[in-house]
Amino acid sequence: MIRAETKTQSKTKKQEQLIQKPPVCLRLKMSTTVRDPLIVSRVVGDVLDPFNRSISLRVTYGQREVTNGLDLRPSQVQNKPRVEIGGEDLRNFYTLVMVDPDVPSPSNPHLREYLHWLVTDIPATTGTSFGNEIVCYENPSPSAGIHRVVMILFRQLGRQTVYAPGWRQNFNTREFAEIYNLGLPVAAVFFNCQRESGCGGRRT
Amino acid sequence: MLSSAKHNKINHSAFSISSSSSSSSTTSASASSTSSSLGQNKSQVTMEEVWKEFNLGSLHYHRQVNIGHEPMLKNQNPNYSIFQDFLNMPLNNQQPPQPPSSSSIVTALYGSPLPLPPPATVLSLNSGVGFKFLDNTDSLVASNPNSFEESASFGCFAKKRGQFSDESRGDRRHKRMIKNRESAARSRARKQAYTNELELEIAHLQTENARLERQYEQLKMAEATQHQVNKTLQRSSTAPF
Repeated sequence: MIRAETKTQSKTKKQEQLIQKPPVCLRLKMSTTVRDPLIVSRVVGDVLDPFNRSISLRVTYGQREVTNGLDLRPSQVQNKPRVEIGGEDLRNFYTLVMVDPDVPSPSNPHLREYLHWLVTDIPATTGTSFGNEIVCYENPSPSAGIHRVVMILFRQLGRQTVYAPGWRQNFNTREFAEIYNLGLPVAAVFFNCQRESGCGGRRT
Repeated sequence: MLSSAKHNKINHSAFSISSSSSSSSTTSASASSTSSSLGQNKSQVTMEEVWKEFNLGSLHYHRQVNIGHEPMLKNQNPNYSIFQDFLNMPLNNQQPPQPPSSSSIVTALYGSPLPLPPPATVLSLNSGVGFKFLDNTDSLVASNPNSFEESASFGCFAKKRGQFSDESRGDRRHKRMIKNRESAARSRARKQAYTNELELEIAHLQTENARLERQYEQLKMAEATQHQVNKTLQRSSTAPF
């Protein structure tokens, strides 16, 4: 399950080189527990299995850093983002997977998932520019509904050869992780994407 | 044709049913089901591959169930779990878990209400399809592959008979309502997820801010004490003598 930490625990944490992501199940002042956005949005469930974050993952489109549930339009995600990952040992390698589980439309996602980007052999503390781009970045441009676009980071056991799938649709992240022995994810972030002229889910 | 289909692999029977039905949506669904089979060739998928999917799906299903998620997660599992339900249910228990009240369906579902999905499609489509299968043709719900074909064909027959009557109108309205509920649930989940994320960010930034402020205070104090030491004049090595 997602690790739960209290506020006092996070205060006594030592300063780290890379800013750790906040604890994902946090007791706020009114002692109400905030559930992990990845679970609430069903990313954990539809795409991933429950996991514990252990590596920081920063995805930035232009000036905008991606936080879970951020609303981005196709124009804002045209070019591949800057991805910075954490960790400490440069000898550890990571794989980044970017998928859209709501294709072609969230109410009928029969092409789940659509693989937008696949980068392997990313050394810790670096970014995707240091990795091996197996499947080149394709910018999301949904036509129907509001899609979740998920970026998942896996830890590799070592440098490995990964074969690109024959096509982007009907990708299965769980299966992919199983085939290449990637285990559970170490980090994930998602944003929402809808067509440029979308109403943002609000009709009035 | 059906009895002979029973002997065939599930997929083959599914395709034969879909080809026999007049429903265009079914044929489009079958077309999508061919493409949706995990990265296989476009021709009919073999039984082994189908069963491999089941095993993977049952793994995930079991993993998730053991972790103890809310009950809704069961319904929301990838397609596999629903199909797995059908297959795991012993023959004495014809009905898989009854669809409870519509409210729980709503919260659980992001499914597509395809009319009469062929069994193969249930595999690779999301849970909603399988669930829709449950909900739509509730009396026809199967607990084993054989009854799958039967129920699918029964649905076909119903479609062929009393078309465009009040029955189908209510049916369509019902589907529309379910679709709308799912959409509303998704919208609420989206909103809630974003709100939660912001709350977490705030908490994190507050602690970070507090820590940095304390650090700043400490550094300021350290600097102040150092200044006091250096107030007195000292002979330096730059003196000419």
